Amino acid sequence: MESACRETTTKARLDAILAHLAREGYARREPKLLQPAALFLDRKGEDFRGRLLLATDAAGGEYCLRPEFTIPVCRDYLASPEAGKAAAYAYGGAVFRSGAHGGADELTQAGLESFGRADREAADVEILGATLDAAAAAGARNLRVKLGDAGIVSAFLDALALPPVWRRRLETGRARGLSLDAIFAPPTGVSEQAGVLAALEKVDGADARKLVEDLLSIAGIAAVGGRGADEIAERFLEQAQLSAGAPVEKRALAETFFAIEGAPDMASMEMRRFADAAGLDLAAALDVFDNRAGFIAARGLALDEMAFSTAFARHLDYYSGFVFEAHHAADPDGEPLLGGGRYDRMLKTLGAEADIPAVGAAIFVDRIAAEAA
Amino acid sequence: MSKLIVAIPSKGRIQEESAGFFARAGLDLVKARGQRGYRGSIAGFDAVEVAYLSASEIARHLARGEAHFGVTGEDLVREEIADVEKTVEILTPLGFGAANAVVAVPQAWIDVRTMADLADVADGFRARHGRGLRVATKYVNTTRRFFAQHGIGDYRVVESAGATEGAPASGAADLIVDITETGSTLVANALKVLDDGVILRSQVGLVASLAARWSDEAREAARVILSRIAAEEEARTTREVCARLVTLDDKVMRKAAAKFGATTREAHEDGAVVFACPAKQVAALADWLISEGARTVSSARLDYVFHAENELWSRLSAKIRA
Repeated sequence: MESACRETTTKARLDAILAHLAREGYARREPKLLQPAALFLDRKGEDFRGRLLLATDAAGGEYCLRPEFTIPVCRDYLASPEAGKAAAYAYGGAVFRSGAHGGADELTQAGLESFGRADREAADVEILGATLDAAAAAGARNLRVKLGDAGIVSAFLDALALPPVWRRRLETGRARGLSLDAIFAPPTGVSEQAGVLAALEKVDGADARKLVEDLLSIAGIAAVGGRGADEIAERFLEQAQLSAGAPVEKRALAETFFAIEGAPDMASMEMRRFADAAGLDLAAALDVFDNRAGFIAARGLALDEMAFSTAFARHLDYYSGFVFEAHHAADPDGEPLLGGGRYDRMLKTLGAEADIPAVGAAIFVDRIAAEAA
Repeated sequence: MSKLIVAIPSKGRIQEESAGFFARAGLDLVKARGQRGYRGSIAGFDAVEVAYLSASEIARHLARGEAHFGVTGEDLVREEIADVEKTVEILTPLGFGAANAVVAVPQAWIDVRTMADLADVADGFRARHGRGLRVATKYVNTTRRFFAQHGIGDYRVVESAGATEGAPASGAADLIVDITETGSTLVANALKVLDDGVILRSQVGLVASLAARWSDEAREAARVILSRIAAEEEARTTREVCARLVTLDDKVMRKAAAKFGATTREAHEDGAVVFACPAKQVAALADWLISEGARTVSSARLDYVFHAENELWSRLSAKIRA
């Protein structure tokens, strides 16, 4: 009886969200339940396979029940006559996830996506506002909003000019939620190759490649697989760089930068002070940030109650700019009730000829029901 | 359908080895319609049905409770079954088919020796090649769990039905996860196992399903089969050693146990004693008994050693009752 009741409320909440988004002018999209598995695995990595409910066709082609809506909606957009133009879509329905120890879940998700708008900050805020309003229409109360900005982070990393190997470690480490201490820890196991590293430290890229080629040919090893001698040589050089440790002053700057948090206006001032003191040019990214904050305030959203953090990242590396999540105020560290952000680079990976501005969000309807219950 | 279902591999050396294992315990597998039948029985056991299945199917049958016992490799059990501890009980190794599931990369990757190296390569691979690393394997789930433990997520599995070790050379994959007995096929394909790249050491074992419905009839048949297997195993690995000592006391028996692993089966007041001793320790035990005053020490190989308490069955019955 209770679960039947829960189902009706979930359905009613979903309907309320979709009705609200329809009034706001978002056109309903209904992507197919069955999707090519590679669509998700190519972007999220093989680890995501464990979360998919898979099916195989007679020719061995792999499909899955849709685990989310954003990628299928992007594909629908690219296949439509509106591709490349401004378009705003809403969606809602079941998504399917497999648990870590078997078992499967059918979850209810709703959401919205905006494509092709060059006025990015206005579009960011429209998505943020429409998502919060739609969640409110579904009964979500007392939400606490967290904001982040992948654009500022990459502007900071560009300006910091970390050696590429350290930048890569920083980016992948942050996507995995590692602490800065863990990211900057020197790699283990390098000492066993100290001889090669010492020899390579004195040479440049071309000589390093020659050295690796010679090593391989002396050992009588044929190169197979996708990594050539140049790539192996380059990684040896990187390892030598890593074992020397990250440049101390750059690491200190990264630690200061990623500790900045607070209400957006305060955080913006702090970032400007930080950039001036460090001699880093973040002006363009910070202007974008302030412009967006202005739109948030103009829309009548409680900007000062939102929590911005330079360290806030959603655990998907396709976000390229503004990101946000909202939690129930009573459970700020639990699972978000909604979340989204800007992902301008994704459509090109799905077949668009060039990058197309894209921003969107998903609402986890079951979680609203659970919080409200 | 209350019979005990025993799933046996349907072809190859593993089928012969399995039949040999049961035959040693006095359990003769009988095929229903000559060699080609896929159903059979065990001679003298009306309550047992033998199902001949392909090796990977056996693990799935056990997981779904469609077979009570099965002969299969631990590699397949761990690949096919999500929650191994709750679903099956690995009762005893059959003494053949030992192999390791390993992560192997091209030998030319001289900069990659550990999983941490591989994780680092995986992180930089997409930026350089526009795609993730490709891993050829038929152990998709095993690979995913192991790679996740080592923080590797951005890669794609290229499923391979056979000749996985050729995939890097042919360009179909960058590295492999495969089962290997000696490692020589890996070397022949210019591959090397990472230092910490052994995912599991597997052997073929007798595996029981905890998901199956265990009728009274199936339980009784299982108890008898396991007691024969245990009795044969103990008989095969131990020798019965008889001697007569002038002074037979606890101290002697404790010393025999501590030095030679010999357990006392019988001790008589006249000094006659019977030990069960690991086969390899018989000569050493005999020497020592003579030095302790025995005139003659004899050793015998037994057919079976049955005990009132059977360790295999008590382990299983505790789990299927719970």
